[in-house]
Amino acid sequence: MDSQQHTLNIIIADFSIQLLSDSFIEPEEGYLPFMVDKFENEPDITIQCFAGLPKNPFENDVLVFEAENEVQKFYSIYKIGNELGFIIYNQQTKNNIQQIALLDSTFTQWKVYSKLSPDNQISALKYPLGPIVMLYMTLNSDAVLMHASCAYDGKSARLFSGFSGAGKSTISQLWAASGNSIINDDRIIIRKQQNGYFVHNTPMYYKDMPKKAPLSSIYLISHFPENKAKRITGALAISKVMAFCIQNNFDRQFIQSRLNFFSELCLQIPVYELGFVPDESVVNYVLANEAGRTK
Amino acid sequence: MDIQTLYHMKSKFIAREVGNELIIVPLSGNVAQMNVLFTMNETAKFIWENISEKTRVEDIENAMTDTFDIDKETAKKDILVFLTQMESFFSKK
Repeated sequence: MDSQQHTLNIIIADFSIQLLSDSFIEPEEGYLPFMVDKFENEPDITIQCFAGLPKNPFENDVLVFEAENEVQKFYSIYKIGNELGFIIYNQQTKNNIQQIALLDSTFTQWKVYSKLSPDNQISALKYPLGPIVMLYMTLNSDAVLMHASCAYDGKSARLFSGFSGAGKSTISQLWAASGNSIINDDRIIIRKQQNGYFVHNTPMYYKDMPKKAPLSSIYLISHFPENKAKRITGALAISKVMAFCIQNNFDRQFIQSRLNFFSELCLQIPVYELGFVPDESVVNYVLANEAGRTK
Repeated sequence: MDIQTLYHMKSKFIAREVGNELIIVPLSGNVAQMNVLFTMNETAKFIWENISEKTRVEDIENAMTDTFDIDKETAKKDILVFLTQMESFFSKK
């Protein structure tokens, strides 16, 4: 019997994540560019992967959070002493259990139970577990996971966030047409590192290389009859930016940590509300506004 | 919404002071893309911080007239506006 331990090393937003299993671990396509052969130091996050799902998980534990919409469940979280238990639901078959996961109190050690595929492989970071791992990896550090797009001109990274349909993808396409590279157009990590705040992309359902850029400004966007930017500061800026941060708000410490992060971020990075016309004029307008050339 | 109802809901929120303002975040649910965070100006922050288990509207009115340069009628009006805003906030959440 093959008892070889399989290892998969990934770096996301400069966090090192190691997956270990007796079974072969099949990475989702989007994770392939984020894989590395080895780490220089011990991994920040370790994920022990197991084949097979435990029966009746968490039936005596306290349900603390459910991520769901009108159509289906994404995941449920249970409190098990100091640990957290996750039931992850399959997004294709709707409401069938895809994985069971346990996270220790330090948020660094995961145990993930998955069904084996017909060719005896484990797809350990299958959506939505991958983003959940990313979310909990940011909670113990100066980092946040956000719904946002981000354009980088080689010097400055401008982040665009807003409600679903506000135009995150549209505005990033307009900046791309103006010669900017797009860090990502849907989900990013902001991390406070040496010399300031940086925006990182995260693995998506498609392949894209890891990217990192220094954050210079945040725009909260909406469609509008004309291009119009207004700088906002203080509590208003913090609350509006934080509203687009991906959060599981069942724990006081999580919220306090996010509030602290965004309070500091919004002191250092300018935040604007930007109503925009979805054509190339918004790029010139933003550049002129930043240079103080608009009324 | 009356003050006692608000007092019981207060424990389900986390607050952070930013200058003279206050941000409150609900301790449940997923706030991503729900725009349910609420910011309070100095007056609203004062009212929020002075709500306790046995507080009456008159107690806050008195505290406000002692702290700010306003009369009782203005204080009462500010409290009513605050309670109305909070009711609207909680109903959206």
